[in-house]
Amino acid sequence: MPHMQPATLSRYLLHGQFISRHCLRTRSRIQVLPVTASPAPLVRYLHTETRESPLNAPAPIHVPLRKQLKDEAKKQKASGKKKKKNADNQVVDGWELTVGIEIHAQLNTAKKLFSGAATSFNDDPNTHVAYFDLATPGSQPIFQKETLVPALRAALALNCEVQPVSRFDRKHYFHWDQPSGYQITQYYEPFARDGRIHLRPRDGIAAEDGEGISIGIKQIQMEQDTAKTLAQPGDVHWIDFNRVGMPLIEIITHPEIHYPATAASFVRKVQALLNAVDACVSGMEAGGLRADVNVSVRRTDEPNAPLGQRTEIKNLSSFKAVEDAVIAERDRQIAVLEAGGTIAGETRGWSIGSTETRRLRGKEGEVDYRYMPDPDVAPLSIGPDLVAHLRDTMGELPDDVVDELTRDFGLSSKDAMSLVLLDGGMRVEYFWTVVSLLQSKLGIDAPEQHKACFLLATNWILHELGRLTAERSDEPAQDMGFSADGECLRVPAQHLADLISHLYKREITAKVAKELLWAVFRGRVPGEYRTVSDAIDGEGLWFKELSADEYAALADTAVRGQEDVLRQFVGAKAFPQGKLMFLVGRMIRLGQEERIDPKSAEGVMRERIEGVYVPAFKTGP
Amino acid sequence: MSTYVRHTHLRAAYSVTAAQWRALRAPSLSARFLHQQVASSRDTSSHGGVRHGGVRHGETHKTRLAVKDNIAASGFPTTCASRILVGTSIPFAATVVTQLRRHGMEVVGKAAMDEFGMGTHSTTSAFESVHNAYPLEAYSAGGSSGGSAVAVREGRADIALGTDTGGSVRMPAAYTGIVGFKPSYGMLSRWGVVPYANSLDTVGLLASTVRLVRETIVGLGLYRENDPRDPTSLPDTVRSRCTAEREGYASAGEPPQTLKGLTFGLPLEYNIEELDPRIRQGWLQAIDTIQQLGGRVVPVSLPSTKNALSAYYVIAPAEAASNLAKYDGIRYGYRDTSGSSDAQDGVLYARTRGSGFGDEVKRRILLGSYTLSSEAIDNYFIQAQKVRQLVRRDFDRIFKLENPLLDEQHFALSEMDGSVGIETKLGPAQVDFLVCPTAPTTPPLLEQVRNQTPLDSYTNDIFTVPASLAGLPAISIPMDIPVDPSSEEQKLLHFGGLQLIGQYWDDARVLSIAERLSDHVAKGMARNP
Repeated sequence: MPHMQPATLSRYLLHGQFISRHCLRTRSRIQVLPVTASPAPLVRYLHTETRESPLNAPAPIHVPLRKQLKDEAKKQKASGKKKKKNADNQVVDGWELTVGIEIHAQLNTAKKLFSGAATSFNDDPNTHVAYFDLATPGSQPIFQKETLVPALRAALALNCEVQPVSRFDRKHYFHWDQPSGYQITQYYEPFARDGRIHLRPRDGIAAEDGEGISIGIKQIQMEQDTAKTLAQPGDVHWIDFNRVGMPLIEIITHPEIHYPATAASFVRKVQALLNAVDACVSGMEAGGLRADVNVSVRRTDEPNAPLGQRTEIKNLSSFKAVEDAVIAERDRQIAVLEAGGTIAGETRGWSIGSTETRRLRGKEGEVDYRYMPDPDVAPLSIGPDLVAHLRDTMGELPDDVVDELTRDFGLSSKDAMSLVLLDGGMRVEYFWTVVSLLQSKLGIDAPEQHKACFLLATNWILHELGRLTAERSDEPAQDMGFSADGECLRVPAQHLADLISHLYKREITAKVAKELLWAVFRGRVPGEYRTVSDAIDGEGLWFKELSADEYAALADTAVRGQEDVLRQFVGAKAFPQGKLMFLVGRMIRLGQEERIDPKSAEGVMRERIEGVYVPAFKTGP
Repeated sequence: MSTYVRHTHLRAAYSVTAAQWRALRAPSLSARFLHQQVASSRDTSSHGGVRHGGVRHGETHKTRLAVKDNIAASGFPTTCASRILVGTSIPFAATVVTQLRRHGMEVVGKAAMDEFGMGTHSTTSAFESVHNAYPLEAYSAGGSSGGSAVAVREGRADIALGTDTGGSVRMPAAYTGIVGFKPSYGMLSRWGVVPYANSLDTVGLLASTVRLVRETIVGLGLYRENDPRDPTSLPDTVRSRCTAEREGYASAGEPPQTLKGLTFGLPLEYNIEELDPRIRQGWLQAIDTIQQLGGRVVPVSLPSTKNALSAYYVIAPAEAASNLAKYDGIRYGYRDTSGSSDAQDGVLYARTRGSGFGDEVKRRILLGSYTLSSEAIDNYFIQAQKVRQLVRRDFDRIFKLENPLLDEQHFALSEMDGSVGIETKLGPAQVDFLVCPTAPTTPPLLEQVRNQTPLDSYTNDIFTVPASLAGLPAISIPMDIPVDPSSEEQKLLHFGGLQLIGQYWDDARVLSIAERLSDHVAKGMARNP
């Protein structure tokens, strides 16, 4: 399918004319003729009276997570109320909550689902659009079979049965983000069914779910994304068709979740799995994943009663939003029922930081989507050989990685989970790179003999690296540049491995190590110095620890004039640790800092106090 | 001038340019086109009738091609005769137009039609109403490819492209006394053809002789050309396999002199009460002719026929309602800006779609939206799809050739309709072709058409719809019908359309036999053009 030039596209969008070059020439010659019925407006704005999408709520404009959280904090402060902690709010006595989840995820593919136009994330608007994407009359869909690869990987990661034959259907509704008036999806016969994922306590499920719970997945279907709407002042909407037709999968669970935290952990787990198998472009934080939740409640004293009337909360864009919205909607429904009311089947919305869901539209506003098999798109036949090949080449799933990290490297399961989940799985890849570099320094069986070294590495990769982009608020937030092959643009694995190995062998101090990390981050290594070791050489940062005598002499210097402090050690009931640290601090300030290990200094000072200074008081004048 | 599409504003432009073109020193492409159009229409009026349009080898004139206005041809707007697409140019050319241009044909104009192909008389256009060619101006030209048919009939084009969804090429051919061919579904590319009902739409050809159609489809090898941009274009491998199972593709030479060895089926269900006695008589005469030429004629039964029309009028509007959802005035075409908003009373696009579509289109959108609605889909759309399979099965059962798109099928005698005659102990007779009228009547007066209910005009498609539902090749050729010399009207309307239907991908033989037959069943056409 030919790609459209941006110029052609803008002519088309701005003037409503779609002109081939050949035609353009013809037109320019006959321009003297009155060929235009009325002068077309230069720009076609879309005007609408209804602020809320009349039919299908458009995807919300993506707000960065950090801003969402800030807004939430602000709101809470303003309301002056302290919210009940979610962990203590998983159950309402006398009521059972039931939740089903639908997750939409953008597939990691080069092309759109039914056109050869490239997929893109933040490119210039309307630069990746094929004729079919704009519903140009006479254009037809061509299924891009490459999109199947990530879709199938997702299905396998979620333990689904891949269907040998599936079909595409049209789902009809009018909205400006849907140029053809319908979305192509898989309604009647989806490509994957009957999946299941297992959640464990470390995934963050509610304590009430005990040692684990298995959530059934009803089906996964492939479908088209919609165009992106950019709201402008004055009820004008700009439309970016780059996103229209991008391939999505929709994952639909059975209603088997009963606790808000478990709902959030399910979504988190799905994101981790999709990332692990490279099925998904980006996580919820970047807007690549959206969840709709269906919530209902029923009284626990009627175990045989059918599920209560459910409502749907659309477009939740963070794990926290999933949990908060479920809690809020559960509480709302219970309040309505306890007041003798009934729950209406309706679609509701949620904004981060609020305490209530809000009604978007009721049953009367529901659209009959008039699903119809798409007569242009052939049924999809997926061969068992393809499925088998993808299964064999899928790689390790996050659960296995977490198991390995806790077992072989002694990580806590919390740290292991963080490592696996951060940066869409790229952080743990980086960890593996650093591990193999350290192994080449320390020996292949290093993890067992030098466990502390790897714990140190984990700590630095999780926390010290995070500090680089978080700590200095005066610097704009910067991207670390992790890549899928286990590298990091800003802190190359080799430099970090060198640094950690020096630190582990006590060849540099932690303070020096942190400074060196900044030097790497800012590009001084390898800009000024080729390697970390060169930098240490060049700046004279090697840790040459003071000798015992030198430490003792330094301690003597540090206590000079501090008799008042020393006197407090005499006959103290509890050892005055604070005073000790004050004196250690003086040692570090007065001595050659780069030659002092605070731990050694503390030991020496304690020894000198107990062995020399305190006895001197007792025997002194 | 009635056969060509003109947008309201363009129509005036044509007459101006027609006078002005001579003044241009270096006539542009469009000026040349207009000149040709003017010249040929003058030609036609002096001849006062059809001219033989063949491929003119070695002449300076290229074969002139008229293109129905729902098929994109670069250099021309494509409006589908709808206000909602007024002034719209599709930025690419339809594959079929590109193919024919590559073979040396020249597009001379876009042909008028029913709005989006919805109609039987080419009277639902937003721009103009088509009428039949001289001397039948008071009569319907058939639809929806009426403009294409009249362009050929009046000699303005040698060959015309139409689209046939339920008979839209064959019906106008029958009403104007020319040849209209609907190929097997998937043979000609639909890329660049604005869809009405995708699963039924086929590009069809209209010409004054079968030979020209056959030379185009078989001779130029159009049947071989897969189009990767059309997902329903038959893939190369399947094309070669189907072609290998068929006769008539290898040599595009003369058709056989006799019809010996061929069996023609006479579908009993097509002998309906509404059939005009003169058409019935013409049909019987044609059968006699076939027998004289050595062919064998047997009665056959297609029991699903009676449900086919209803199924068609469920499926086609359903797909149409879906396809036409894209016309919202936002990205192209007409947009009603009379209000302050694109929504009217909260309903998005209601104003643009309300004033942009004509009544027949709106009727079918409503019909289709209803039959797809969750309350009605089981009773209408799903049932219609089942009927469609039964119709196809009826055809597969009576044809000698197997349907190459399906695995071998077995038909138990017990599941056959009781009316099917058993020929041998093996079952009923099997046939090479079906032969039946194209339309139940001669072309009606336009005045009558205007007073018809939509349902009346839907029933006109009764003989053409089954082949569309099954995706089979079918051709309409002119046939003589008896004329009462005392009736002036009968002297004018001295022809009907004879339809020949073949098994899937048997297009080459359908064309070849139709070419042989056409010399014999339409002697009056030659005498009395």
